[in-house]
Amino acid sequence: MPKFVRQAGWILALLLSIAARASAPDEYQVEAVFLLHFTQFVEWPVQASDAQTPFVIGVLGRDPFGSALDDAVRGETVKGRPLVVKRFAVAGDLKPCQILFIDRSAVSEADQVIGSLAHSGTLTVSNVEVPAPADVIIRFLNEDRRIRLRINVDYARNAGLTISSKLLRPAQVVGTIPAG
Amino acid sequence: MSMNTTAPAIRGQLIKMVLITSSAVLLLTVTSLFVYDFLTFRQNSVQQLDTLGRAIAANATAALAFDNADDARNVLTAFEVEPHIAQAALYKMSGARFAAYSSHAATGEIPTRLKPEATGFHFEHSSLVGVLPVTEGSRRLGTLYVQSDLRAIYDRIRLYAGIVALVVCASGLLAYALSRRLQHRISSPILALAQMANAISTRQDYSVRAAAAGVFELDQLTEAFNHMVGAIQTSEARLRVQLGHLSLLQHITSAIGERQDLHSINQVVVTTLERSMPIEFGCIARYDATSRLLTVASLGVASQSCGAQLGLLPGAEIVLDENGLATCLEGQLVYEPDSGQVPLPLLQRLAALNLKSVVMAPLVAEKTLFGVLIAARREANAYTSPDCEFLKQLSEHVALAARQAELNSALQTAYDDLRRSQQTTVQQERLRALGQIASGIAHDINNAISPVSLYTESLLEREPNLSERARSYLTTIQRAIGDVAGTVARMREFYRQREPQLSLSRIDLNVTVQQALQLTHARWSDLPQQKGVMIEVKTELAPLPAEVMVAEGEMRDALTNLIFNAVDAMPEGGTLTVRTRRVKPEADAAERVHVEVGDTGVGMDEATQRRCLEPFFTTKGERGSGLGLAMVYGMISRHSAELQLESTPGRGSLFRLVFAAAAGVAPAAEAEPVIFERRPLRILLVDDDPLLIGSLQEVLLADGHDVIVANGGQAGIDTFAEATRSRQPFSIVITDLGMPYVDGRRVAAAVKAAAPATPVVLLTGWGQRLIADGEVPPHVDRVLNKPPRLMELRSALRDLTIPAGPLKAAGGTSR
Repeated sequence: MPKFVRQAGWILALLLSIAARASAPDEYQVEAVFLLHFTQFVEWPVQASDAQTPFVIGVLGRDPFGSALDDAVRGETVKGRPLVVKRFAVAGDLKPCQILFIDRSAVSEADQVIGSLAHSGTLTVSNVEVPAPADVIIRFLNEDRRIRLRINVDYARNAGLTISSKLLRPAQVVGTIPAG
Repeated sequence: MSMNTTAPAIRGQLIKMVLITSSAVLLLTVTSLFVYDFLTFRQNSVQQLDTLGRAIAANATAALAFDNADDARNVLTAFEVEPHIAQAALYKMSGARFAAYSSHAATGEIPTRLKPEATGFHFEHSSLVGVLPVTEGSRRLGTLYVQSDLRAIYDRIRLYAGIVALVVCASGLLAYALSRRLQHRISSPILALAQMANAISTRQDYSVRAAAAGVFELDQLTEAFNHMVGAIQTSEARLRVQLGHLSLLQHITSAIGERQDLHSINQVVVTTLERSMPIEFGCIARYDATSRLLTVASLGVASQSCGAQLGLLPGAEIVLDENGLATCLEGQLVYEPDSGQVPLPLLQRLAALNLKSVVMAPLVAEKTLFGVLIAARREANAYTSPDCEFLKQLSEHVALAARQAELNSALQTAYDDLRRSQQTTVQQERLRALGQIASGIAHDINNAISPVSLYTESLLEREPNLSERARSYLTTIQRAIGDVAGTVARMREFYRQREPQLSLSRIDLNVTVQQALQLTHARWSDLPQQKGVMIEVKTELAPLPAEVMVAEGEMRDALTNLIFNAVDAMPEGGTLTVRTRRVKPEADAAERVHVEVGDTGVGMDEATQRRCLEPFFTTKGERGSGLGLAMVYGMISRHSAELQLESTPGRGSLFRLVFAAAAGVAPAAEAEPVIFERRPLRILLVDDDPLLIGSLQEVLLADGHDVIVANGGQAGIDTFAEATRSRQPFSIVITDLGMPYVDGRRVAAAVKAAAPATPVVLLTGWGQRLIADGEVPPHVDRVLNKPPRLMELRSALRDLTIPAGPLKAAGGTSR
């Protein structure tokens, strides 16, 4: 192979790696998209007021996403319902929502919040470990710069949510999956 | 028949057709199946790939949604169970490849980027590529790329094609073998038919028939062929019969055409029919319309015995009506297929001889029934309708020929008559010419001997001192001159023209008979003697004059003719008898005179006796005019006399003329007055012959007359006129008749014009004829014949110059 071609190859590889790094999403951007994607793999219990109310993704504590979450959900719907993001600084502000991301800043209140939301049909998500015995239904695990999922099916069942088996397959499952 | 041997045979055609048909069907079927299979396979492949892809895509959603490449690879690994999936890959919405899968058999590259819009299926080379969206719910998460390897499938299709080709070849061979075997059933009957047709046309044998082949259409063809051959056979047989009839008809008509007489025409018809048609009995009967009878005219040679048994020999009569032949009168052919069944006498007679089939064909020409042709055969129903038609046509030909023969014979008769009459006319013309020559000769002879006669007479009369010897010589000369004059006169008589009018005079037939015998002396005496034949002449004349009132010339001619005939009837010699008789049949009846001319010659049969008086009938061939006896008969009729004929063949003939005897007694012959008138007369003598005129002048001068001569007619007239003017008139004028330029008639006329009282004597070499012809010209008082006899001359002078009544005693002819 001629020498100049080999040099051009190197230059091209360098340029590509810089571009990839510049555009590479950070962790929260990925997680914001994941939050949106959950709406496709999880079945919420049907309520009478669903048609009139928007599908709400709540963020408890400090919002780590910036504009990433808002960008992700803009224009999206779930089964015809508009998708909105609501931010709750403290647990006392909490309003009913279908997905609730608990930021590490609100982990202290997690036990209380999770307890209050036990059967409300809210998918609780967090990227940090919640103090035991409480647990969120889905937790983002950062493994070697890759976001992985840890799903507690017992909690999900308790919350009245049905999680798609497709979602379960790439995830780390906690709890018992009923046979059949 | 020319046959194109290069034309393809049915056999080859059939095989070709079968092969083409079966191959086409096979190919079409296989191709359609193949195409269907191929399309179905492609469709199935697409569907299969779609299904597979969708399943994989559904499984891959979470991996894509949650960015789990390991999981994505795991999902793609599921393609391992589908060996035909060569390659697969998942792409994010950004188009970047997320995960990829390749089987060991995979070739080629998996695209590193794929736009999310480029979904769908397409075939590349030997593979099927599917690009499917990966969605979860309504959200598009990425793209799945699947490449399916179709090489195995194509291999399988190639195998299929090989098998199909083999099957097509095998089935083609099978079809060839089968059709080769089966076409035999079609082509062999057709070939058999063709061979049979060929054989029939070369051998001309139309009795063979083709056998059925056992195939419906071919059987129909065979049946039609057999039917056609049958029809040809029938019509060929009919043609043969008609050809036979035509040839027979032609044979008979040409045989008829060579014949003229009816009998041999009939005979050849019947005999040819017997031999060639054939028939067992054949005859032709002539029909007589007045008696309504058929008379058997001709009988075939082989039919003679039958005819004898039937009583149908030539001359036998058949009654027309009672034998059912009346229809023949109407020109219709009568055919009795079984004569025994018909109760008619003739047919019963034929049936008795076992002649059952009888055809009676009328011989009709120009709507007239000439006769009937009877043709019989032994077997019943032995005549077909072509036979009858043939006999009818033949009978028409025969009738025409018969009619022609009759016409021909009539024409021949008319021609013969015409020829005879022409010969007669020629002969008469010749006689007339001869007569004119004879008259001229007679005139010249008479002129020539006139001086001799006059001088001789004068010498004898006026020279008393002549020696005895001289007187004897002169007397002989005078007699010889008289004979010459007589001969010339007879010759004139013999050749003179016949005058139509009848001037009867009282004639002694005894004299006329003598004259006739003298005239014909050469014929009955000299000519037969030259041939060594003797004819004896017996003359039996009535003792008294047999006087009758007849035209003397005609009487003499009639006798001459009868004598000629008698001589001609005795070529071997015999006795000629001429007889006159006075007969008084009854006491109070008028007396009759018979003249008979008989011979002991060949005689005449009855037919000849019946016809011998007809004009132009002759038994003498070229020598005879056929007019002799006709003239005799005409003369007899004009004289109201009677002609009787007695003749026996071989014994001789006798012609008898019967006249009424002349009434009263004949006036006594006037005695020749011998008066020598010495009264001198002044005589004008006119002639162109100096010898005659010299002698006459001398004789008259010797008698003491004053004689002035004029040489020629005009000179005579001039002299007479001169004398009248100078008051020295002539007492009498003697003029010759025949002179150049101005003849005796004109001289006489001139004399009478100048002096009507002056008598005129005409001297002529034709004198006798003139008188007999009633041709005494006007202005002439007396005609004297040359040579003039002194006595006659003197008598005339005396008679004409006596002014008073006794002149009446003069007249009459010199005879």
